[in-house]
Amino acid sequence: MAGIYIYSDNNEIAAEIIGFAKRVGKEAVLLAFDEKTAEVMGNSGADKIYLLNGESELVESYAKAVAELLQKEEAELFAVGSTARGRELAARAAGYLDCALVSDVSALSYADGWFLAERMMYGGLVQQRESLDGLGVVTVPGGKFDPVTGNAEVISMAVQADRRVSLVETAPIVRQGADLSQADKVVCVGMGLDKEEDLETARALAEAIGAEIACTRGIAEERHWLPAELYIGISGAVIKPKLYVSLGVSGQIQHIFGIRDSQLIVGIDTNERAPIFKAADYGIVGDLYEIVPLLTDALKKQTIDRPE
Amino acid sequence: MKRKDTAKCRNVWCEIDSVFCKGDVNVSKVVACYKWVADEADLRIDADLSVDFSRVKGKISDYDKNAIAEAVNIATAWGEKAVGLTFGTAKAKQSVKDALSRGLEEGYWINADEAADADGAAVAKALAAVIQRIDDVGLVVCAEGASDTFARQVPSRIGAVLDWPVVTSVMKIEIAGNGLMTVRRLDDCMQTVKVQLPAVIAVLPEINTPPIPGLKAVMAAAKKPVHEFKGGDLGINFTPKTKAVEFKGYVMARKNVIFKEGEAADKVRELAAALRKEGVL
Repeated sequence: MAGIYIYSDNNEIAAEIIGFAKRVGKEAVLLAFDEKTAEVMGNSGADKIYLLNGESELVESYAKAVAELLQKEEAELFAVGSTARGRELAARAAGYLDCALVSDVSALSYADGWFLAERMMYGGLVQQRESLDGLGVVTVPGGKFDPVTGNAEVISMAVQADRRVSLVETAPIVRQGADLSQADKVVCVGMGLDKEEDLETARALAEAIGAEIACTRGIAEERHWLPAELYIGISGAVIKPKLYVSLGVSGQIQHIFGIRDSQLIVGIDTNERAPIFKAADYGIVGDLYEIVPLLTDALKKQTIDRPE
Repeated sequence: MKRKDTAKCRNVWCEIDSVFCKGDVNVSKVVACYKWVADEADLRIDADLSVDFSRVKGKISDYDKNAIAEAVNIATAWGEKAVGLTFGTAKAKQSVKDALSRGLEEGYWINADEAADADGAAVAKALAAVIQRIDDVGLVVCAEGASDTFARQVPSRIGAVLDWPVVTSVMKIEIAGNGLMTVRRLDDCMQTVKVQLPAVIAVLPEINTPPIPGLKAVMAAAKKPVHEFKGGDLGINFTPKTKAVEFKGYVMARKNVIFKEGEAADKVRELAAALRKEGVL
């Protein structure tokens, strides 16, 4: 069946992509690899759910089988949620199909028989729009479209897995810090901090305003002061808090990529010419060892005084 | 090549540091793929949102330094060679010496004008074509994505072109019998995954801290063998699969209210007042 074929290991993103497919008037076919997903997604508006049964527990191992299925069904687009599993499945399927893949689209639309995808390059400095002709693949982050409802017909089929990769063990992620993607407020430290003990100054500010602590890649991967999951940037966490406050962060473009969806950006740094100030709504140029304790004090009072 | 070795830890997680445990195992060359990219720090966005590349210098994509270091680590443990491979325009030639100073033994580079506009499909096919021409490759190590496009598709596509298994989002690699044991960091869990060789692996930047090459390594790099391939000789259609309809600078609309003059206490007071007014506290 022609139409948009959809996969995500994140059901919310899958539902959002189904919403996109229905809104542009296409058939929506959801690929599921386990019965539970097929059941949970039964009323998400997809026309069909293909329940693919195979011997591997790794979704990515079905890339070749999925590519063959897409070709056989004459799919118009394979839209996959932008998660680690989804990105690999999407890119391997695109490789087997030798077709286009636009990754992590910031926008996706359909008009006059063409899909048009938009994405960021150079760490968010450059925006590129591309049109897809014929079967192509896109990966889609969460929050781009609204879901719909409606019952789907579930069709089971057997698929072959690549057995050269096998799952040995699954373990939960032991978070040493907060889940930054959900944080309401974030205080982020950068290489402008002189020593590890100075993290306490940042923590005091974070505590005063009820924020989570985060850092730049350098703090996590060069200085190892904070765990890797707490660094923000293109290869790290991408956040969308109400308030982001940076301390001693110069604002390299890879870092800015991770904070662009923040509602309000505040930068504090000694260097007036630091790029963070171009990306900031508010900023203070000054010595953070002088500024931060004063700010902590001022904001602590405000938070307490605020009428609830 | 078939080797016998004293360490007998086939099919089990290898606990022995830097001892290669290849009971009865085929091991072979490790290829590190990397990209010579425009340094985004030098890009300028003009007032009309056009992108100015005129002052741009090149660099090995930051994340690829992790891939090179990991390839070298594995090859060392295997007692084998790690080699570098890149696909680029004539400008990419200057990358080879830098790559070789990072512990790779030989450099392979594909010289193609088409690289300037190549998409993930073309890049992967070009890299795969040369991987097939290098004798006895057991493993290809890439970063997840390059710092310019960060499309995170080339490693998986190389695997598809070669029809080799692929493991992405890898934060740890151990040698385990006939294959590799890898730890993946996914969005919702950690996975330990075993993969047979030959394979393609995409590593996360946290997998290692790439050493900065010393003077001796830089000097030695100049003497290492370099193999050049011409893009036109690989029999690949480089035409991009999508049509780029727009390429322009992106400027975030922000208030840019910066308090820089006066006493610290005054600046703090002004900022605190602004934050209160914004209702974000």
